[in-house]
Amino acid sequence: MPRHTTKIIFKLCLFTVLLVISAVMCLGQSTSGTVSMSATVSKFVEINSGGAVTLSGNSGGGVTTDGVANSPLAVSINLGELGPGNTNSFVTALVPLKLRSNASYVLSASATVTSSGSTANRIGAADVGFGLGTITRSGVGVNTGADTNATSGDPTLPANGSINGTTGRYEFTAVRSNLSAFSSSTTALSGPYIMNAVPRSNANGLTVPAFFAVKPQFFENGTTTISVTFTVTAP
Amino acid sequence: MRIRHFTFALLILLVLLVGSSNTSAQALDISSGGQPTITGSVSGSVTGSSDVRNDLVVTINFGEVSPLNTNSIVKVVVPIAIRSNQPYQVAVSMSGLNNANAQAVQASDVGFGLQNIRVLGGAGKICTQSTHVIQSPFNDDPSSSVTIGSNGRVVYPSTLANLSGSTIILSGPQLSKNNSSIRQQSDGYVFDAIFTLTPQFFAAGVSSATLLFNISAGPNLPC
Repeated sequence: MPRHTTKIIFKLCLFTVLLVISAVMCLGQSTSGTVSMSATVSKFVEINSGGAVTLSGNSGGGVTTDGVANSPLAVSINLGELGPGNTNSFVTALVPLKLRSNASYVLSASATVTSSGSTANRIGAADVGFGLGTITRSGVGVNTGADTNATSGDPTLPANGSINGTTGRYEFTAVRSNLSAFSSSTTALSGPYIMNAVPRSNANGLTVPAFFAVKPQFFENGTTTISVTFTVTAP
Repeated sequence: MRIRHFTFALLILLVLLVGSSNTSAQALDISSGGQPTITGSVSGSVTGSSDVRNDLVVTINFGEVSPLNTNSIVKVVVPIAIRSNQPYQVAVSMSGLNNANAQAVQASDVGFGLQNIRVLGGAGKICTQSTHVIQSPFNDDPSSSVTIGSNGRVVYPSTLANLSGSTIILSGPQLSKNNSSIRQQSDGYVFDAIFTLTPQFFAAGVSSATLLFNISAGPNLPC
């Protein structure tokens, strides 16, 4: 056999062995393997109804669409007669709110008040008392944190309003005690995270009643629409 | 002439290397057992090889596990193939997942169990004198045993918190009939490693962990 041919055969054999080794390495065995894992938790906040609305001091009117606990908040209330024909001292609606979060939260409110009247005696935003009541964090899975109520609470409390000595009109005078303070989105409540690490099926959370109150007065006759939007965020 | 001698010596060395590989072949091996799957995730994924001849390299992204994920549970099934010509044991060790915030995802929040150990094709060894044993407490599908603890948090019968150092999770007799140096598609056993994570009001953040599966010689068991 010529020397040149022998060389070629030798190189081919060498190449074949390298291929075999490569194959063995590719399909070779190992005594270990890895499983890497990751998970993401985003900030989460939600607001729902905390239960049924309580309407008191009304003359006529009623709760048109009631709140259902743990369902989206979409309440509609007819406050009834707000003129002197209603002899109660206040018409008051309590709307329970339920908040849940895995992070610090801020609850803001934004309100619009429109009346059909045309004079200064029509019902305006300042005539609608507003405040958040007692904040409750209770139940399994709820974090015990301290919340900050930016309102003055129940607007019908004597400390939160009085008759203006000059005009004779009743005024809600305390800090953020009427809807004129919420003509744009304004903080009403804030606090640390509400829920510990529990599933969403856990129905507990932070509950707080939102007070709305109107003092029946010699308002200009007409109809008034009050719309309040609550928004919770995790800054 | 010298070059030829050197080349010949190199060739012999390579042949010896192949020979030594054959000598230890099939002793103990762990690899992918098939395509892993994920269910119940939001923006989650799992990657791995469907070919049982490939190494076990799996990446799980559980995705969003805050209440933004409204599914009841995120479940990942990772098939793992094992081969041996002797009794074996499989151990797992974990790194990562050490959140200081108790409300963040903890090792105890990730369910971990083994199920469905089965023969991988016709060359898997069926022993009659010993059985393959999934060590306690890992013999379960955590997705079917979810309970709520007294603090409201989800509890599984076995979790990653049950791993302490290198923890043996599976052991048994010989797995393979043949003694091939090359991984084949039908020469061992496969089991499913199941991982679960229930979306909860966890503290916000990203958590990660790495599990190292290792197969080694196990207690002497007759086949």
